[in-house]
Amino acid sequence: MANGYAGRFLRVDLTDGLCSPFTVEEDRLRKFIGGSSLGAKLFLDGYPLDADPLAPESPLMVMTGPMVGSGFPGTSRFAVCAKSPLTGIWGESACGGTFGPELKKAGYDGIVITGRAEKPVVLSIVEGEAKLIDASGLWGRDIYETTDLLKEADKGAKALVIGPAGENLVRFAAIGNDKGHFVGRTGLGAVMGAKRLKAISVRGEGKLAKADEARFRELHREAVQQIKDSALAGSLHAMGSDANMDIGMINGDVPVKNWSVGEDFDLSSALSGPTLSETYLTRAHACAHCPVACKRVVRVPDGPFQTEEGPGPEYETCATFGTMIMNRDLAGVIKANEICNRLGMDTISCGAAIAWAMELFEKGTLTVKETDGLDLAWGNMESVLALLPRIARREGFGDLLAQGSLAAARKIGGNAVDAVVHVKGLDLPMHDPRGFHGMGLAYMMSNRGACHLQHAVLATEQGMASWPQLFPMKDDYKGTTSEGKAELVFHSENYGILGNSLSICHYLTDCLKPETIRDAFNAITGFGLDFDGLMACGARDWTLKRGINNLLGVTEKDDVLPKRIMTPLAEGAGAGSVPDVEKLKREYYALRGLDERGFPREEKLRELGLDDLRERLY
Amino acid sequence: MAKYNAMTQEWLDAWKEKIATSKEYREIAKNWEGSVSMIVNPDPEKGIPEPIYLFMDFWHGDVLEIALCDKAKAESAKFVMSGDYARWKQVAKKEVDSTKALMQGKLKLKGDLTYIVRNIKTVNKVIDLLCEIEAIWPDEA
Ligand code: SF4
Repeated sequence: MANGYAGRFLRVDLTDGLCSPFTVEEDRLRKFIGGSSLGAKLFLDGYPLDADPLAPESPLMVMTGPMVGSGFPGTSRFAVCAKSPLTGIWGESACGGTFGPELKKAGYDGIVITGRAEKPVVLSIVEGEAKLIDASGLWGRDIYETTDLLKEADKGAKALVIGPAGENLVRFAAIGNDKGHFVGRTGLGAVMGAKRLKAISVRGEGKLAKADEARFRELHREAVQQIKDSALAGSLHAMGSDANMDIGMINGDVPVKNWSVGEDFDLSSALSGPTLSETYLTRAHACAHCPVACKRVVRVPDGPFQTEEGPGPEYETCATFGTMIMNRDLAGVIKANEICNRLGMDTISCGAAIAWAMELFEKGTLTVKETDGLDLAWGNMESVLALLPRIARREGFGDLLAQGSLAAARKIGGNAVDAVVHVKGLDLPMHDPRGFHGMGLAYMMSNRGACHLQHAVLATEQGMASWPQLFPMKDDYKGTTSEGKAELVFHSENYGILGNSLSICHYLTDCLKPETIRDAFNAITGFGLDFDGLMACGARDWTLKRGINNLLGVTEKDDVLPKRIMTPLAEGAGAGSVPDVEKLKREYYALRGLDERGFPREEKLRELGLDDLRERLY
Repeated sequence: MAKYNAMTQEWLDAWKEKIATSKEYREIAKNWEGSVSMIVNPDPEKGIPEPIYLFMDFWHGDVLEIALCDKAKAESAKFVMSGDYARWKQVAKKEVDSTKALMQGKLKLKGDLTYIVRNIKTVNKVIDLLCEIEAIWPDEA
């Protein structure tokens, strides 16, 4: 067994009710490390790519990495992967919390689930023993209730849970861990729901074997000191990810009114991290083994949006349910966040779908007749809160939005599609490429569709992190230029992806020195990889997932930015500026070794050791 | 436009004048309360043999003081920012954004970061006004 790994994975067939462990050879672990990289490799090798994402034969994979369970800061992460029911291409989403380390302690590096249970079940893994338990009594309950009931049944267990949205196959359904941590993007909660898997509950006491325990401890101390010294970590602790709201509005990062307005400082001030800290914050909270504690715990004591103490919104949610829909009431955002958490819906895609509907309502394309009487005027939170359960339960107009904004727009037709802001079917996260052209390229080329987390472009282009030891970097990047961005995105992807396969939080890769992460990884695994070797793993991951997407039908034609983003804004830091898509694409394709169809060239596949993929593509 | 020797009182006076006469600053900074100091770490090779301490005091859109000071006074400020000479020079020449330098650890801050983020427009404006002053830098003189 390789150090850092539990040494086995679990295969679960819900149709037959069979659970069986399997192993992955060490040379594959060295190449793909873990997380969604290894998930993609298992998917390519063992499962039908053309199956419907919600079909029993489509696998759902829950994957950790070798640093998970080590106690190194930020290594609580795990990734859930599947073919996405929202986009129809490769889907993945990473999450923090407590589930990842507990899965390792319970004796598994990952779980691959296929089939469909006859009745709802919970997959329970206790000290390596896996079994399926009847979950009929949990079906229909929300994520908070289910989490509490599972905790009552087994106090020490950590669970991954879906809510009504996942059960009802909402295309952007999320999966929750400990109420405040979510596998949000690409609709993987619906894959779990299609399998009638209500929850996965894990508990264990296993210890992780490390190649060099003494060196690891030294590096752990170094990492904690670097976090203490980091202004970024301090900012995240004090204000959460919503620290970005004030600065982002100045820099042209924050979308306003479904990406149609360039700036609104009253909005950002009302919804910002400092405002949250001064009003509804009760305390900061952390994922397992994280001294940063960027998570918010909030309470709205009274008023129409009264909310019990619980997990608070992140920046993305403050934007989707705030600036994007012109809602100035932070308490309203908190309430919407709580409802989405309970029902199990991605706050980005859900908020984006509502912003899209509000725009159409303003234009008269949608009226109260279509919305079942809801007045979807900008900022009307009463209507938003009434709409959320209808989406999760797929009732009336809610059922239209539950299909995702792109599918909904296609149903409506006309220019409704122009108001959908997506890449490859995934709604853009809340960072505007007109203010930051590199982010535009990253959205175009991310393998799960528009994504801010499959790379480290947010950190490098916006100057939160600088890693000249990894690749050539300028001291400061101007956002509104496409010059030099292809190279920046290429390298930032390779490093950011690597964080995903090691399963370390992006905020920690931003705060910590790359040397410390590299050395800690090597102290745990003994793999002895240098920066070149690690960055090659990042490049391999990107190309592997790109190849899977090519096999699923993705071509160069899909590498585009939506019309709205190619329309310049009139005001704000990004005013008058749009990414030079042709230049960015040309330069990026050359760096990635993509041909004119957008396929990885044969020599690139050979260079990266992806011969199996080459045989499938050529 | 006159050129000033950077890191001297005349340079600071020019900066103070710029801030005091900026209507935009007065509007943006109407909520700002408190002092900020800048500590420039020594760099003998670049003509900075000793640390340089600058003290600035702002109140509701007014600039009360910008002056060279001693270590004790600098450390008494509500916000203390420190960094190498080369970094401060990059910030003052608009080559590097001060917030980015802070996040990357190239400048250090002691004080309430939340307050700074809340008032980031004020911080940016003060730096922008500094960048407008033509300066001769010790290592260029
Ligand atoms: S920085 Fe935040 S999201 Fe990342 S591991 Fe720490 S608490 Fe979790």
